[in-house]
Amino acid sequence: MAITFKKDRIVFSDVASGEDAERLLEWLQKHPKAKIDLSACTHLQPANLQVLMAAKCSIIAKPKDKLLADWIDSALQLI
Amino acid sequence: MNPLLEQFISESRESLQGIGEKLMQLEKEPESSELMTELFRFVHTLKGNSGLFDLPELTRVLHAGEDLMDAVRNGEVAYSPLLADRLLDAMDFVGLLCDEIDTNGSTDAKHVNNSVRLADSLRQLIVVIVPTTEGASSAVVNELPIVPEQPDPANQLPLSDIPEEISMAAYRAAVTGKPLHWLAYSPVEECFFQGDDPFYQARQTPGILWGDITARTPWPKLAELDPYCCVLDFSILSTATLEELQEYYRYVPDQVRIIPVPGSFLILPQGEPNGGPVYEDFVADALKMLHANNIAGLTHATRSMLDVSNPNLWLSAALRWLLLVIELEPDNVFVCERILLSLRTMTPPVWHELAGGCDTRINGDVNSELPHNLAQEESEPVPAMLSPEVTALIAAQREILSLPDDIAWLAGRLKSVAASLSGCLHAIGANGIIQSLGAALDEALAQRASAPLLHWLDSHFKPSVDAAPFLPQSVQPATTTQIGQSVEEVKYGRRAEDSYSGPKSIKVDQVKIDRLMNLIGEMVVAKNALPYLAGRAENVFGVRDLSREIKSQYAVINRIAEEMQDTIMQVRMMPVSFVFQRFPRLVRDTSHKLGKEVNLILEGEETEADKNIIESLGDPLVHIVRNSLDHGVEMPDVRRALGKPATGTIFIRATQEADRVVIEIRDDGKGIDPEIIKRLALEKGIIDNERLERLTDQEAVNLVFAAGFSTASVISDLSGRGVGMDVVRTAIEKVNGTLQLESEKGRGTRIRLSLPLSMAVTNVMIVESNNQLFGVPIGSVVETVRIPRADIHTIKKNQATVLRGRIVPLKPLNSLLGQHVPPRANEEDELAVLIVSLGDESVGIMVDNFRETVEIILKPMTGVLAGLSAYAGSALLGDGSVLMVLDIKEIL
Amino acid sequence: MKRILIVDDAATMRMYYRSILEGAGYQVDEAINGIEAMEKSLQEFFDLYIVDVNMPKQDGYSFLSELRSRDISQNPAMMISTEASANDRMRALVSGANLYLVKPIKPDQLLTNCRLLLGEVHE
Repeated sequence: MAITFKKDRIVFSDVASGEDAERLLEWLQKHPKAKIDLSACTHLQPANLQVLMAAKCSIIAKPKDKLLADWIDSALQLI
Repeated sequence: MNPLLEQFISESRESLQGIGEKLMQLEKEPESSELMTELFRFVHTLKGNSGLFDLPELTRVLHAGEDLMDAVRNGEVAYSPLLADRLLDAMDFVGLLCDEIDTNGSTDAKHVNNSVRLADSLRQLIVVIVPTTEGASSAVVNELPIVPEQPDPANQLPLSDIPEEISMAAYRAAVTGKPLHWLAYSPVEECFFQGDDPFYQARQTPGILWGDITARTPWPKLAELDPYCCVLDFSILSTATLEELQEYYRYVPDQVRIIPVPGSFLILPQGEPNGGPVYEDFVADALKMLHANNIAGLTHATRSMLDVSNPNLWLSAALRWLLLVIELEPDNVFVCERILLSLRTMTPPVWHELAGGCDTRINGDVNSELPHNLAQEESEPVPAMLSPEVTALIAAQREILSLPDDIAWLAGRLKSVAASLSGCLHAIGANGIIQSLGAALDEALAQRASAPLLHWLDSHFKPSVDAAPFLPQSVQPATTTQIGQSVEEVKYGRRAEDSYSGPKSIKVDQVKIDRLMNLIGEMVVAKNALPYLAGRAENVFGVRDLSREIKSQYAVINRIAEEMQDTIMQVRMMPVSFVFQRFPRLVRDTSHKLGKEVNLILEGEETEADKNIIESLGDPLVHIVRNSLDHGVEMPDVRRALGKPATGTIFIRATQEADRVVIEIRDDGKGIDPEIIKRLALEKGIIDNERLERLTDQEAVNLVFAAGFSTASVISDLSGRGVGMDVVRTAIEKVNGTLQLESEKGRGTRIRLSLPLSMAVTNVMIVESNNQLFGVPIGSVVETVRIPRADIHTIKKNQATVLRGRIVPLKPLNSLLGQHVPPRANEEDELAVLIVSLGDESVGIMVDNFRETVEIILKPMTGVLAGLSAYAGSALLGDGSVLMVLDIKEIL
Repeated sequence: MKRILIVDDAATMRMYYRSILEGAGYQVDEAINGIEAMEKSLQEFFDLYIVDVNMPKQDGYSFLSELRSRDISQNPAMMISTEASANDRMRALVSGANLYLVKPIKPDQLLTNCRLLLGEVHE
């Protein structure tokens, strides 16, 4: 499973698929304050990205891949 | 139909024709900008015209076509066979709609889907913008007046979003000769459902330096969010070549825009603008060093300045850029200078405006220095409320006056502006200020400047912000002067050699020509009554002198009538190009479809023949050419294996021979194998074994024209449809044409059609049989003979005779027409026999007697008579009686 | 009667303008490109020019600048085009047009502007 939901954190690992976005959205609706850990994430299908953008999530750990981190920064307007 | 719509249809057809031709020519010379321009103009005209009517389906496609052609013309999209295909498709559709409008007066709404599809297919091709080598600079200089025709799209890009270190890397790459492209990738909303991952696609873009994701729409509340509707836009900066990017995004070309970015456009310092000392000293010193080419000094000064400045300042960013430019392009004084100058304003240089490399002058500056309230005049005021048209018109004049003055036609411009304003003032009843306008014009002319008029305008009409919406951003006076001169040079050169001559032709409705043709036909017949009359005058009334006078009058009328007839025939003459022009397209499309390579050569397109003949040629020729393409020319590899050039040739030539037009269609394909023909003919029962033995190869080959014969073992989509060459033969013979086929196995086939130049007048021989007169077209009569009854033999119930050593079968005309009356012999017991040719054979038709040959206007059988296949038609004779003209081939 | 010269290569457009203008009582002449328009301008007097942009042989820009620079006529000219961009508008005004209109032109719009440029009182 690419997304693990913890109490106040959502941890992404490897590649988050399109199906994951559905559960991500549900979880974030119930836990709007949840923080996102992308450190182990290598790619996320853009539906997930849209959910993160719409929920204005705060990222507590960026992906290790610098370019991916930049992309996500730009999407979440963290630059 | 209203005349305007009628005009539209007729002009549209011409344009469509033109488009087809130009595309064909472009295929041969895809680089020709002249052809491209003409092609654009055709599409442009069509589209412009269609806007006058409510024809959305038509306009949509034409609009897309125009945009595409505009992009091609401007060199943004390259011409390609695919483009030609799509444009041809679209134009076929337009042609179809035109036909529909022609018949119904409107188009059916059912075409919407096709219209949208075709428009999309055209627009898909306008994805890519090919970089101009020198950025915007070359465009500015080459374009006619001032503003580049196509604003460089790189102007509008949010390049300042790119972080400095990436911009610098990109600039470095550009300076070292790498391409630099901005990609705007907007995946469609439903792309996730199509299994696309646009983010992945974007991340993997070749040569990616930087990327950015934005949402197209503000995000809704989470509860309302549809995560599977993609609203993301991706922006990417890449050092990949255009081709690489096109290839990479080839599945979503319509969702990507690729824009070349000149490296210098990235020099956009960013940072805190505030604080710090006034840098003027530094700027002045640095500029001095720059102009003295003291690069070392400049570098040193810049570094020192940078050391004492907070790195987050705008200043520091600019200095870092300056250092980089000095490092990479020490010769680029212009860019360095701009960066230094920008320190005074703390705003980045507007590179695209500076691309011309010359000083700008913000226009209006000159005028704004003048006192503004020079003439608050006494006269009656301008009406307070001005209509939008008046406001727009005045705004346009203000705009014109704000243009730079250094053009050759400044005086003309000033006068025309004054004339326009004067008209406008008259129209709105503000006559009182017209006099002062005249004075302002005089002053402007004396000063050779727009300012006095502009000032007059400002004092009477307040400049409003939105009234002049399109003020130019910048103007280059130096460039303009040059343009003024060059326009003049070009103009006189062109006028000398290209003097205009008035229209020498007029368009006449086809119906009117047909009517004229019928009238002259009646005239010829009526004139033929005169010899009868002369005969009656002499024989019945016994007035010989009158008879002679009638005859001499007849000679005059006859001459005039013949001349008239000739002239009208000339009017009806059309060049064979009317038929030929469809072949380039046909050959192109068909050979593509078949995977063959075919070169079409057309000759003698200017050869003329009567309109009816030309029109009747169309279908048979198409059939013959399709046959050549389908069965004649071999596949390229086959040809190569046979030692022939891979590209086959189809050669069509028209020539005039005496009173006939001869059309020869030749191909260098595989030819026709007489053995196969013989076998097939035997199988199909067209010939019997006995005949097979005697058949020469040439005769065998000609069997393809026999009814029910088709050599294609499988009926192909192209030449097949179940009709064979017999249809061709029938169609050609219908207009009194003949055809010959020669073929050499493995070498090719040659078909020769021979047709009369005109079919308006037919020569017939009148024969008498069973007290009736019949006409026989002279073309089918070989000779007339009288044969003694004794020489007629009966072989197996069939009559025959021997004529010059050949057996000629004989048939009585009466029995051919279903009348059981034997032919009458003359006093010497000889029977009149008309020898007619039937293909290669001769047949004798026994009649009662021969009469004269006459020229007649053959009218086809109409109404219930049309079913009588024995007759080719009827004609009026000079004495008013009707002559039935036999169709010899049908009755035998 | 005021005389107007229509310069357009599209016969349909010429017919369209002509029908509107003649209906309003103007005397109309036509030319199919800049060269023909120049010939006519050298021989006859026109109160107003209506000029298309894109035409074969000599386009509208070049015709107008020639008309102005050779001082053949300084009477008002309106340029009518399908292009709505600022650049096209600029080119037209630089070349010598006094008004730039974008197609499609409604009959009313055409007539109003003609009347204004010809100085005829609005009724």
